Amino acid sequence: MSPATAPPTRDGCRVTAGSVAVAVIAVIAWEIASHLSFVIPEPLDTFLALGRDLGDPRFLAGLRETLLAALAAFVLAMLIGGPAGLGLGLSRRARVVFSPIITMLNGIPKIVLYPVLLPVFHLGYGSKIVMGLLFGLFPVLINTAAGVREIPDVYWRLARSLRATRWQTLTRILLPAIRGPLLTGVRLAVSLSLVGVVLSEFFATERGLGRIVLSAYSSGDYAGMVSTILLLIAISFALSLFLWRLERRVR
Amino acid sequence: MSSPGTGVVLDDVRVEFRSSGRDGPVVAVDGITQEIPAGGFVSVVGPSGCGKSTLLSVIAGLRAATSGSVRINGRTVTGPDRDVGVMFQEDSVLPWKNVTDNVRFPLQIARVPRAGRPRLGPGHRPGRAAARRRIAQRAQEAIDLVGLGGFERRYPAELSGGMRQRVALARTLAMRPSVLLMDEPFAALDQQTRLLLGAEVRRIWGETHQTVLFVTHDISEAILLSQQVWVMSYRPGTILDVVDVDLPADRDASVVSTPRFNALHNRIWERLRTEAMRGFAQENRFPA
Amino acid sequence: MNVRAPDTPGARRPSVSRAPRRPWSGLAGAPAAVVLMVLAGVVAEVGAAAAWWAPDVLPAPSDLLPAAARIAGSPRFWQDALRTGAELLLSCVFGVVAGLGLGVAFWKAPGAGRVFEPYLVSFYAVPLVLFYPIAIVLIGINQWSVVVLASIMTAIPMTLNTWTGLRAIPPVYLRLAASIGCSRSQTLFRVALPAAAPYVVAGLRLGVAYALIGTVAMEFTTAQAGLGYQVRYLYESFDAVGMYAYILVIVAVSVLLTAVLEIAERLLPRGRDT
Ligand SMILES: Nc1ncnc2c1ncn2[C@@H]1O[C@H](COP(=O)(O)OP(=O)(O)O)[C@@H](O)[C@H]1O
Ligand SMILES: [Mg+2]
Repeated sequence: MSPATAPPTRDGCRVTAGSVAVAVIAVIAWEIASHLSFVIPEPLDTFLALGRDLGDPRFLAGLRETLLAALAAFVLAMLIGGPAGLGLGLSRRARVVFSPIITMLNGIPKIVLYPVLLPVFHLGYGSKIVMGLLFGLFPVLINTAAGVREIPDVYWRLARSLRATRWQTLTRILLPAIRGPLLTGVRLAVSLSLVGVVLSEFFATERGLGRIVLSAYSSGDYAGMVSTILLLIAISFALSLFLWRLERRVR
Repeated sequence: MSSPGTGVVLDDVRVEFRSSGRDGPVVAVDGITQEIPAGGFVSVVGPSGCGKSTLLSVIAGLRAATSGSVRINGRTVTGPDRDVGVMFQEDSVLPWKNVTDNVRFPLQIARVPRAGRPRLGPGHRPGRAAARRRIAQRAQEAIDLVGLGGFERRYPAELSGGMRQRVALARTLAMRPSVLLMDEPFAALDQQTRLLLGAEVRRIWGETHQTVLFVTHDISEAILLSQQVWVMSYRPGTILDVVDVDLPADRDASVVSTPRFNALHNRIWERLRTEAMRGFAQENRFPA
Repeated sequence: MNVRAPDTPGARRPSVSRAPRRPWSGLAGAPAAVVLMVLAGVVAEVGAAAAWWAPDVLPAPSDLLPAAARIAGSPRFWQDALRTGAELLLSCVFGVVAGLGLGVAFWKAPGAGRVFEPYLVSFYAVPLVLFYPIAIVLIGINQWSVVVLASIMTAIPMTLNTWTGLRAIPPVYLRLAASIGCSRSQTLFRVALPAAAPYVVAGLRLGVAYALIGTVAMEFTTAQAGLGYQVRYLYESFDAVGMYAYILVIVAVSVLLTAVLEIAERLLPRGRDT
């Protein structure tokens, strides 16, 4: 019944067209605004700045470093958050002990811990990967745990009545049953890992797009700054959108 | 028993739904011309999906008919009317209000009974406290009438399904509507609870003499409760048969073992069987 | 899996992710949390005393707490706390009002909602801080660039949750409202919003949390005042103890706020079996 499972309907196309129209209107508004204020670069100049930057090996090295760090942070978040969330969802005792502390840690503005990480993990990849991990970990962990908690009791009884092994229960019942919340966690972790890495780079780093944004800002190259930010936003936007559509399809 | 023009009068009611597919509109209800005399108790039976709820919401003024008209106590229905109480098929008790507040809710919305004098100006509200007292009193009467005394402070989550439907019934009765529309109110309950609540409705009707239209898909329930049963067909929903229930007025559940009850039951079931099968076949050919 | 009620054909299950989902309930674990925190403090103290790490990596709590107390007595601290608090408060007020309004508007005009949905979901709160450098170019390095972005960060979960909550209302509640003659505003304020309250309150909790995270993160990136700014400033002036004291204060504030919001969320929807 959900629109995502059906072939694209006329209605669905109209909604997509509307979303695209919103983007177009935003660009037009940007164009107009750029003529009103000298600090706002024109869309075209911004686009050209991106073309210029993408031909610059230093920019590409920064892009590579940021994306690699975000990828590493994301993978670590999944590897740690997934199993930890499973454990937390399955064990009542673990929940009682750890849930308040997890809730608290989740509410902390984690970026202020970056100076704490720097002396331990150093200025290179280490610190920003750990920061990205801190950003991405909690959505995976919390959503996985919540997903496990919401599995209807009858599924467990079904598993027992079928004499499913632990492994079969995990792969055939548990993981499919929590795929919705798990995907939500994945989607949030993807964009948050990237944000964690870039915020770290805003603060202090040797290489990376965050640094490039800040140096463009301080040298007054607003077209370069905006284009780099939009590149980052576009990457996070595209990944989120893809995962969100996937999420709607599986539920 | 009643003067002409009172009660509920249906005149050639037809309801279409625009369907999303290419095969034209769905005719949910068609050509219904019937009358419920004031103070009468009529049941509607029919296979599920035949348009019972649709017909009810037209009478309640919640949905406009595509053509035809409904008159209640001589007035043509154009929208919801506080003189018409509706009890819905789904659980409609509001979970954030306790029993008393649920029952008071429609009275508060209607500010019933309205203060006799006009308002003298902003800020000056004659009899506000008095109105609140009247609302409280009316709600309490309704609560007691349906046997919920002692549960006033409970929240719906603490009540069984049967008790929640009692709350819905009390909420409807508190408005003292002259017409009561009930859409499979007990369909989700177990058989025993259903029998009990059916008997309650019958008892309350005996006290209040409201005009009742009771929708059900349970033939026995229809016969047990009502004076007349309308049998509806599957899409388009038309009235196939009108069966007068000539059982004693003070009947109770033991009436089901009488030959007369069986004869009525068989007559209705014969009518319905082919419809139910037709509906089943169609539903499964066009999955919703 | 609920069977779809026969008279709600095509009823669409809300597709947004943030149902008010909490894997745990009850505050039974609070003592455990305290024990864990005390344990962490002891490890930090012992580690610093035994010189397992350099003092600028992690100062001993016995040095830190007096420093935090000293800072809490200084007017400079209160200026920064006031600045951050004001930014936070303004962002929450603007964000919550805007989010409620948008959530209701999208519910009334689902077409508009679905058009904006991909953007709301993808910019779900935190990635917006990446716009901060643009905001300081447009607005300047002052509290308003922080407030504008933090308000949007608050408004997004608020909008999505309000909208999802309103879409999840059993349709029969609205038919009930119509049948007893509720006006439009009575239907909204006395039926629809209370019915959606668990989602709205969850949105509020998320929104306030994001406002705090965003405010501090933006101050930390670039600002001239505020608690987040002080952490950066003290880092750059190599005052490890002072920096840690500020971090401690920020963590304490966020823990307090989280606890208050959690408790509020549990107390508010009274009478419900959620
Ligand atoms: N809003 C609607 N849009 C389209 N079709 C509807 C709508 N409401 C009901 N229908 C269709 O009208 C028919 C009658 O529905 P309903 O009155 O709910 O039946 P009943 O209450 O007898 O089970 C069904 O086939 C149903 O699919
Ligand atoms: Mg029905």
